[in-house]
Amino acid sequence: MTIDNLKSPDLAAPGLTAASRPATALSPDASEVLRLDDLHISVHDGAALAVRGVSLSIRAGEVVGLVGESGSGKTLTCRAALGVLPAGVAVEQGSLSFAGHDLTTLSRRGWESLHGNHIGAVFQDPASYLNPSITVGNQLAEVLRVKLGLSRRAARQRSIELFTSVGLHHPEQVFHQIPAELSGGMLQRVMIAIAICCDPQLLVADEATTALDVTIQAEVIELLRQLREQRGLAVLFVSHDLAVISELCDRVVVFYAGEVVESGPAEEIIERPRHPYTQALLRVASVGDFRRRELQVIGGQPPQVGAEITGCRFAERCPAATAKCRAGDIPPVSVGAQHQVRCVRVHEPQVAGELAAR
Amino acid sequence: MSAAAPAAAQPATPLLAVESLDVVLGRGWRATRVLRGVDLAIEPGEIVGLVGETGSGKTTLARTVLGLVSPAGGRVVFEGTPVSALRGGALRAERRRGHLQLVFQDPLRSLDPDMTVIDIVAEGIRLQGETDRSVIRQRVLGALEKVGLDASVLPRTPGQISGGQRQRVSIARALATEPRLLICDEPVSALDASNRNYILRLLSQLRTALGLSIVIISHDLSSLAGIADRVAVLYRGRIVEDGPVDQVFAAPRHPYTALLMASAPSVRHDRELSPQQVTRTVAEAVALPADLLDSFEDPDACVFATRCAFAAAPCAAQPPLVPAGERHRVACHRHAEWMTLARARTADGRTTEGQLS
Repeated sequence: MTIDNLKSPDLAAPGLTAASRPATALSPDASEVLRLDDLHISVHDGAALAVRGVSLSIRAGEVVGLVGESGSGKTLTCRAALGVLPAGVAVEQGSLSFAGHDLTTLSRRGWESLHGNHIGAVFQDPASYLNPSITVGNQLAEVLRVKLGLSRRAARQRSIELFTSVGLHHPEQVFHQIPAELSGGMLQRVMIAIAICCDPQLLVADEATTALDVTIQAEVIELLRQLREQRGLAVLFVSHDLAVISELCDRVVVFYAGEVVESGPAEEIIERPRHPYTQALLRVASVGDFRRRELQVIGGQPPQVGAEITGCRFAERCPAATAKCRAGDIPPVSVGAQHQVRCVRVHEPQVAGELAAR
Repeated sequence: MSAAAPAAAQPATPLLAVESLDVVLGRGWRATRVLRGVDLAIEPGEIVGLVGETGSGKTTLARTVLGLVSPAGGRVVFEGTPVSALRGGALRAERRRGHLQLVFQDPLRSLDPDMTVIDIVAEGIRLQGETDRSVIRQRVLGALEKVGLDASVLPRTPGQISGGQRQRVSIARALATEPRLLICDEPVSALDASNRNYILRLLSQLRTALGLSIVIISHDLSSLAGIADRVAVLYRGRIVEDGPVDQVFAAPRHPYTALLMASAPSVRHDRELSPQQVTRTVAEAVALPADLLDSFEDPDACVFATRCAFAAAPCAAQPPLVPAGERHRVACHRHAEWMTLARARTADGRTTEGQLS
């Protein structure tokens, strides 16, 4: 795999929306943007495995949500997909591909040509990703000049168009403002404008709405929804709140202690969660219930990162756990179209009763 | 103490009374009125939720109550003492009593990373004048026990314990001086959903067990609904609505409260109103007469008029808080009619029948 392959004309053509791009011949599924296969990620220089055998794929125009507690491996997974793993953290096993191109052994240069042009990213705290002393307009224009080779004037023109398209009012004025002069919601819109400025096929949003006020959060979610519809943008959306995920995503991938415990269509998982952990997450999520109610908690603590556990990693906290759960490796079981659950008792009808009785 | 049923009997004097409080931060041209005429009373054993967006003055209100900010007008009365008027020795003596405590948002930033848990929790007890080390240790253990922690965390520093435990240490630190009123500034926004509910449940249990009054500042309405007795909604320095939590959330009387509820993420997708049904769209703003729009920018205009879909000529003046039910107040000129108008709008904010007056 060389960089030249990545710069094949169909991928590099700027200005084309993902939907109108010709399909890549290499890709097994033409519209598949990102694919992770059996991904293992180690931390502390290989001392512990933080992500174990994660497989997922995202097609063009699809929004996939990763959900789980802090330390469940969802952020590491999306950092691996961006090629920005911190020092001491490495992909141990498995493969990563983007539009049919293998990225597992991609060089730093190769990643750089991918960033911006093909994959954009937005993180939790927009203020810490922007230079506080440069106007936000120039920070966006800089990306356009470096990545697309636009002239100063054209970059400015395009920046203002992009600011308008992410819903910033008075874009000309915003162009000349520094980050400290803008609110958190406006900064996140600036970050989204930077992330999508080279028309990428994939946007990775890691806790992108977590630090925002509810009203602003609703607006940012609405913006992502529009970008998906208008540009065919695929979004990998990470959040610890299942309610936020269910507002936006087509498919949900539930992480627990470094493993995917359930994945499937968002509606189905919200309506009929099959894994006891997903059910627990749903009980603690901000359900949008404004009546007085008992606030539920998930008893116990998740295992230490990298802990070696035989069998189900959730068994210790699971109300329905039996000896069978701790006996050996648990493979994912298919329970519907594209719906997989990693639970040995998923087909036992009495489990649902045991869980409901709690 | 009949703390569990705060609404049953209404004592003559509230534990905390905030009376027409004005707070100005900054001087000269930088001066900003952060709080404007805020009235709020907290009864003993009551949990009050304070909601609003960033910059609405929630944190400033908490800091003013604690005496960290001095008000430009109005006063704060705690247990009958006007604490906002105290100066010098009297103020320091009041603070040492530790009857008012604050729990901060991010325990990683508010707890000293070099101090051990025992020193953090003991600090307030020492300030109260306690010198006997065995007594201090006993009181620290007692405070930790109330939040479900044991002696094993005593020698650790904040960096060595988990996020949920850190917030519990932060609460134990506040409880150590046996406060009457606990003010929690976004106590759960840095935590994941399970830990969030754990901390909220803990606060609710502490209220029952210790007869504490608790003010919880939060922007997560759904979790407040689970534990608060009353809720006060702040917008740009003013209380726009307050009342019993079930009444406010069952039938919000202010469009801003409705906007907050409509924006809250939900797994059910069965909201009554969408955010666009209560806020003015760009097209509507363009259609309004320019002088009317300008009048909403006036400092004396209704604080929500710049965003409200129902703002009309009278909204150029800030409405007073008027009763809207039992112990329920709202500051909106059109509180009786906006809900009907909102229902007549489509989910994306257009009016279906008739025109906005």
